[in-house]
Amino acid sequence: MRISVQALLLFSVFVVATCGLVYELVAGTLASYLLGDSVTQFSTIIGVYLFSMGIGSYLSRFFNRNLIGWFIQIEVLVALVGGFSSTLLFLLFDRVASFQIVLYLLVSLTGTLVGLEIPLIMRILEDRFEFKELVSKIFTFDYIGALLASVIFPLLLVPHLGLLRTSYFFGLLNAGVALWLCFYFSKEVRWMFFLRTACVVAIGALVTGFVLSDRILAFTESLSYADKIIYSVQSPYQKIVLTKNDREFRLFLNGNLQFSSADEYRYHEALVHPGLNSVPNPKKVLVLGGGDGLAVREVLRYPSVEKVVLVDLDQAVTELFKSHEVLLDLNQRALESAKVQIINTDAFQWLKNNREQFDFVVIDFPDPANYAIGKLYSNTFYKVLHQAIAPGGAAVIQATSPFVAPNSYWCVVNTLTSCGFVTMPYHAHVPSFGDWGFVLASPQKELQVNGQFMAQLRFLDGATFEQMRTFPKDMPARETEINKLNNQALVRYFEDEWAKYLN
Amino acid sequence: MAQQEERRRFLKQSAVALGGLALGGGGYLVSCTPATNQPIPGSLLGPSFKAGHLLRTGLTVVPTQTEEIDVAVIGGGVSGLSAARWLSKHSRARVCLLELEDQTGGNSQSGQNAVSAYPWGAHYLPLPNLANRELLQFLEEARVITGYDAAGLPLYNEYHLCFDPEDRLFINGYWQEGLVPHWSVPQPDLEQIDRFLALMEEMKQAKGADGRFAFDIPLDSSSADAQFRQLDTLTMQEWLHQQNLTSEYLRWYVEYCCLDDFGATLEQTSAWAGIHYFAGRKAQAANSDPHRVLTWPQGNHWLAERLREQTGAEIRTGALVYNLELKEGKVLIDYLNLATNQATRLVANKCILATPQFVRERLVAKISKTAPKPAAQGFSYAPWLVANLTLKKVPNGKGTPLSWDNVIYGSRSLGYVYAQQQSVQAFPEKQVITFYYPLPDTTPAARQAVFTRKREEWTELVLQELEKAHPGIRREVEQADLWVWGHGMIRPTPGFIWGQERQKAAAPLDGKIVFAHSDLSGISIFEEAFYQGIKAAQQLLPV
Repeated sequence: MRISVQALLLFSVFVVATCGLVYELVAGTLASYLLGDSVTQFSTIIGVYLFSMGIGSYLSRFFNRNLIGWFIQIEVLVALVGGFSSTLLFLLFDRVASFQIVLYLLVSLTGTLVGLEIPLIMRILEDRFEFKELVSKIFTFDYIGALLASVIFPLLLVPHLGLLRTSYFFGLLNAGVALWLCFYFSKEVRWMFFLRTACVVAIGALVTGFVLSDRILAFTESLSYADKIIYSVQSPYQKIVLTKNDREFRLFLNGNLQFSSADEYRYHEALVHPGLNSVPNPKKVLVLGGGDGLAVREVLRYPSVEKVVLVDLDQAVTELFKSHEVLLDLNQRALESAKVQIINTDAFQWLKNNREQFDFVVIDFPDPANYAIGKLYSNTFYKVLHQAIAPGGAAVIQATSPFVAPNSYWCVVNTLTSCGFVTMPYHAHVPSFGDWGFVLASPQKELQVNGQFMAQLRFLDGATFEQMRTFPKDMPARETEINKLNNQALVRYFEDEWAKYLN
Repeated sequence: MAQQEERRRFLKQSAVALGGLALGGGGYLVSCTPATNQPIPGSLLGPSFKAGHLLRTGLTVVPTQTEEIDVAVIGGGVSGLSAARWLSKHSRARVCLLELEDQTGGNSQSGQNAVSAYPWGAHYLPLPNLANRELLQFLEEARVITGYDAAGLPLYNEYHLCFDPEDRLFINGYWQEGLVPHWSVPQPDLEQIDRFLALMEEMKQAKGADGRFAFDIPLDSSSADAQFRQLDTLTMQEWLHQQNLTSEYLRWYVEYCCLDDFGATLEQTSAWAGIHYFAGRKAQAANSDPHRVLTWPQGNHWLAERLREQTGAEIRTGALVYNLELKEGKVLIDYLNLATNQATRLVANKCILATPQFVRERLVAKISKTAPKPAAQGFSYAPWLVANLTLKKVPNGKGTPLSWDNVIYGSRSLGYVYAQQQSVQAFPEKQVITFYYPLPDTTPAARQAVFTRKREEWTELVLQELEKAHPGIRREVEQADLWVWGHGMIRPTPGFIWGQERQKAAAPLDGKIVFAHSDLSGISIFEEAFYQGIKAAQQLLPV
């Protein structure tokens, strides 16, 4: 039983209209995601898209023969351009200098192709309907499709399929219409084998894109570094990336900035010296985390130090900082020092089994962004730490930003206090990170800081440290829960506060 | 008209064609997944079927040696160990404990591989009620409780309190935190769930006319008030219905809880027992929320080992007791050492029989006709499948990350427990999960299947359940070890807990043989087994 040509083509109008509007919405949404300022992005995208449809309509006059064949080819093109455009934009963002030009070129191309569709269909149908009926029917279906698209896009498509899959899905619909028309008009149209093959290839490509969209997305996200990547490796634990620009090197672990060579001295001086400078005649120092050797570099400035034990989980990090020329300059070959013993293992387990005591302990773990790392900030961990500090000794803990994440910062302070430590909270401005917090902790009854810092430091001196101990009115100490293994309060604070800040 | 007709048909066909396209895409998706149905290595374990069979067919070995002791404890599960521990604390009696399996602990078995220790059965203990002094005392001795705060609340060892996140539920495509369904759950269902939980909170505090809590642990401490005990005559299903609690989400959740503690469905569970699950526990702790559980990588075998250390008894494993007699004021216990095939007769002054009811029936059958015949009818058991899977990595999903207890909404399984949750190691190289699957279907065919199904079939069943939440998980699985419990645990069917049979079964025999087992409570939980052991030992004292 053959379906009437009119019905088939009108249904195509409906599908084509829905797809056309979806591509427009995808482009607008993507532009606002990537470039911000959604009002501007949406209105310019819609303007360019509609204008391009006008160009398409104009161009339709140059198609005179084999209209159905042309229509099928245009459908395949729309399917491919529309389907792949969002992936292409994701991939190119951050990679090309003039992202906007690419964006608007793609939008124009899609718009032009979509603009060709309706005039062609009208002409295909012109002999089969009376003119007033034709216009009425075509535009009815066109606008119904538009309504459907605008309703399902925010409610169903974006939340359930995501942008990439939505594009592929509607590309498939376009290609599906084309393939169906191929079969329907197999006798009337020339070059049928070519057209069918094109349809099938397009469908194959779109299905592949649809299936792999998660991996594509993961890949594009890993490309999102601003600078040139000069080193990149995936260790069993994390993705290590080193980037370079004219001014600085930056180290990223799993996409999170660890330091910038331009200002890391501020961070590491603030981390190590207030505490270590206050311990009389320190001999044994323990560094947990900090496989970059930058904290060790600061520790080795003290001639009395005889032994530094560095415990860092990831051998790939410590090896990198023992072998890469640029990084060896940065950490002044600290990890090659005969005083330094490197142990690549889990810090909690190591500390739990450790029976040695240290005069000073530097704790430079990643931020408590997940439950695995949250354990390293728990009261149980700090009780074990307590045992590892020699009489007269102290420990310092990097403790995220007290400005961005005050609950997180004070949670670390309060958790240390709950384990019998006397604490001294302080913070420093590190341009790459913002206002960053540290906690000095001592098992003794009192914590006295020696304000006479060594002269060769670039950032820290007695007066600066006095300021660092002051918390301004907008970031005062606060009550928080104690972080325990059985409540992971810190990870919850941290997620909550950084999510708010980043949105 | 004809044209309209045509159009209608056309639209119908379009819909079919579009569906076809979608399905075609789906087919492609499936075919894209690499076929990795290679067999997964592993083993199929279970309690000694062979020994049990020997016992059923009857053994006629003649003991070649005789030993005299004060007390024999038969059965080294939690109740037997608890009884032996109590005896060693309160008497100087020479106690000998006989256990059929190679490991003591009963349902609290565990295994170990290169990655982690893992449970084969019971795997957690909820924080005990403050009134449960004996249990608190044991936990102090085991250093699970490290002290008490000024308000008298116990301070728990934080390595044993379940690490956070404790539990998550896969529901509507998302891992929500907590097991009570809420993610994308419609408002009327949420309201019913709230109403149910409020009712349970009320029941938790409710006291009977005798001043006792309506629901307590051990359950023998619960109020005798008829208004509560009559709930035992209803099924949980009927009670929910009476309360007009009909939400499918709520129903699933309550059934999950009944399966978790009893291995029984809503239709099989007594309403009293079902409510007891929610209302029996009223713990408080100085350093934890009250709902937290105590757990270990090897599950409750850790606790069973602490009990064993405190027994002071001589423990003989691989010992199949096949004959029990009363003679001249003594209890004669004949057992076969399964390793040496040598039979021994123990001549004991007294005996504690700490076995499940179906073993006890066979052992006491020979004893004097005056023995009360235990009605086997009321004792019904739930078979279980427990699977320990070693994975390269548990796949990530949307929502809450891997937790201790991971449950899949709508699944008849109880989900899985992450054995390394209590490890302080941040990034383990591999992971072990323990998957629990109760088999509450009591039809003969289903029971038969429990014993005849092959390892590959069980493994496939486990993987299919897990794939509901973790597509592609089978690619991660390196090893799948399984354990089938034919008689996993006692089920509190309606009328059982406050009926006659349970009390009859608990009555000592001739003042010489006393009984200890969680079967006698009707609920198979550590607290009850621990209590039944102490109760039995107290009945024997002084020895």
